[in-house]
Amino acid sequence: MMNGSLEAVYFNGESSSSKSVTLSIDSDTRELRLHSDGEIPVIWNLDHLIVDRYGNILEIRNKQWDGALIRVDDAYSSKEIYQLLKRKGRIDLHTRLLDLGILKIVGVAFLLLGLFVGAYFYLLPPLAERAAMLLPESVDDEMGDLFESEVLGHYKIDTKKSALLQEFVSKIEFNNSKPLKVVVVQSNEVNAFALPNGTVVVFSEIIDNMKGYEELAALLAHEVSHVNNRHSIKMICRNLAGYLTVSLLFSDVNGVVAVIAENAQQLHTLSYSRAKEQEADEQGIGILFQNNINPHGAVMLFEQLERESNVNIPKIISSHPLTKDRKKHMLEIISERKFKVTHNVNLKSLFKQLKRH
Amino acid sequence: MATNFNESQQAYRLEFHGKGSEYFAIMIVNWLLIVFTFGLYYPWARAKQLRYIYGQTSLNQERFHFSGTGKEMFRGFIMVVLFYIAVLCVYFAIMVGFESPLWAILFIYLAIFSVIPFAIHGSLRYRLSRTTYRGIRFGYRGDRMELTKMYFKDLFLTVITLGIYGAWFQVNIRRYTHENMRFGEVEFSNDAKGFDYFVMNLKGYLLSIITLGIYIFWWQRDMFEFYINHMKLSKGDQKINYKSTATGGGFFKLQIVNILIVAFTFGFGIAWVEMRNQKFICDNILMDGDIDLAALSQTEQEYKDATGEDAADFLDIDVM
Repeated sequence: MMNGSLEAVYFNGESSSSKSVTLSIDSDTRELRLHSDGEIPVIWNLDHLIVDRYGNILEIRNKQWDGALIRVDDAYSSKEIYQLLKRKGRIDLHTRLLDLGILKIVGVAFLLLGLFVGAYFYLLPPLAERAAMLLPESVDDEMGDLFESEVLGHYKIDTKKSALLQEFVSKIEFNNSKPLKVVVVQSNEVNAFALPNGTVVVFSEIIDNMKGYEELAALLAHEVSHVNNRHSIKMICRNLAGYLTVSLLFSDVNGVVAVIAENAQQLHTLSYSRAKEQEADEQGIGILFQNNINPHGAVMLFEQLERESNVNIPKIISSHPLTKDRKKHMLEIISERKFKVTHNVNLKSLFKQLKRH
Repeated sequence: MATNFNESQQAYRLEFHGKGSEYFAIMIVNWLLIVFTFGLYYPWARAKQLRYIYGQTSLNQERFHFSGTGKEMFRGFIMVVLFYIAVLCVYFAIMVGFESPLWAILFIYLAIFSVIPFAIHGSLRYRLSRTTYRGIRFGYRGDRMELTKMYFKDLFLTVITLGIYGAWFQVNIRRYTHENMRFGEVEFSNDAKGFDYFVMNLKGYLLSIITLGIYIFWWQRDMFEFYINHMKLSKGDQKINYKSTATGGGFFKLQIVNILIVAFTFGFGIAWVEMRNQKFICDNILMDGDIDLAALSQTEQEYKDATGEDAADFLDIDVM
């Protein structure tokens, strides 16, 4: 039982006129009683109360009676009732958190944000890649098949060269887990890429610029390494996980933050693919060693790319690490390793035919 | 006569008391709870925000109240999500099953445009029914069919006139919805005309081009004035008229400072920006008339279906 009486203003939800009342709370029956002169007290069950606090003003409503409202203006009274209702468990979690004060809330938010950022950069990528590895390889194939017709539709396929290149591929051990299919497309762009289903697309210009079969072997070894390591599916899983996390975290904040977050996500993707390019470079040159092909083919390949890109793209925005750095890295690997080179007549003759056509 | 008139004349004062720091705290707590519940807290978070904004708005020292709950909005949220999934399923069915991307895209547009009148209607019904002042509910009595017919007729006319009819379209919808709004026995009305709105916008558009965009703030003032000044309240022969006191300079200052706040706080200042906007609106609405706000009775029914409200939120339409 609460001592003394608390002054309040009461709207009964039937008319907009107000009435002065005094409040009392009976803890035993869990009742809030509204007394006004010469009238039977109105009784509200404590379990039906909804409370809003605006500074020193406390507004109490009844869940069962939408319109009705009790307003307590007095600072002391409103605090008293608020504390009492809090003890009775009538204040929701959100309001209780707000009671902690802005500094603590912001502190907790920053701590949490820090944890999320940490997890996002260091925990999420390996987790997403793990998840990617759980997917059967058939997913890679299906995805590759889906893109293949779409991608190849834009180019003119050179069937003769494709057949020659296919034979070239068959003479090298790529440690591939799935059958490789190579396609040469006519284009004066210097480019090549691998699809997750094992299809490697090579542009005619890059072959025409090549100086020897070692260079072609290096290119193919690099692209096949992307396939062997399932880089595409890993990348898609990473991006997807990143995107989902970012949108979950920031969906409610606002546009500006979302845009910043999005850009961060993109830069992150770029650095990711640099790491994967390096992995493919290293495994690619490994394939050359294994097949007794001159590893300088990889160096020649980067020299061609260097000649091609007369525009210098700064490292931070380029998806491939600067060609110079990659070439240097290849030279380092070659200098550290002992290797045997066998002159491969088959590959040489196939390469000659590819260039001649 | 003059003295009699003055006696029944009432004073009205609209105020907004919200503070950026308080609203920011609410947003941060919302954010924490949303993250911890994997997004499920969103409807409750929205209820909290709406409740704060309504609760910080007062007329003659008495606060408004939004009594909508997260639970109600969560139900609507689920309905909207289910609808959204259904639409996507049909979209993919047309896309893959019938291999006709054109029809699939057409279907999406049709679905979105058909939801809009439903969202406007549902949102108004819910939002107004859950808004009280001095214990009296607001309400919306519009007819969904009527609104939908008007919407599609006007949409059609807007399309065939290459957008020109858009001014009439907006005014017609606004007039219809206002005329069906109630606060106890008080009826809302709106006497705006599409032609005036068209001329005002044409003028705003042309002058904004000539002045390299500077006139935009004065154009905003005109739009605000058009909205406010055409709104009326009546109860029998008692009335309340609205008048905007906003100036172009006021809009200019409001928005330049808002942009600076957002830019320098990396977006976190949005809480302060929203409070500034609400305060600007309340500070620039003048009301005069003779309706006694303490002598009204409850007339409107409760309406707890928040599906339309959530659909409007999905589409980013704000009815109020």
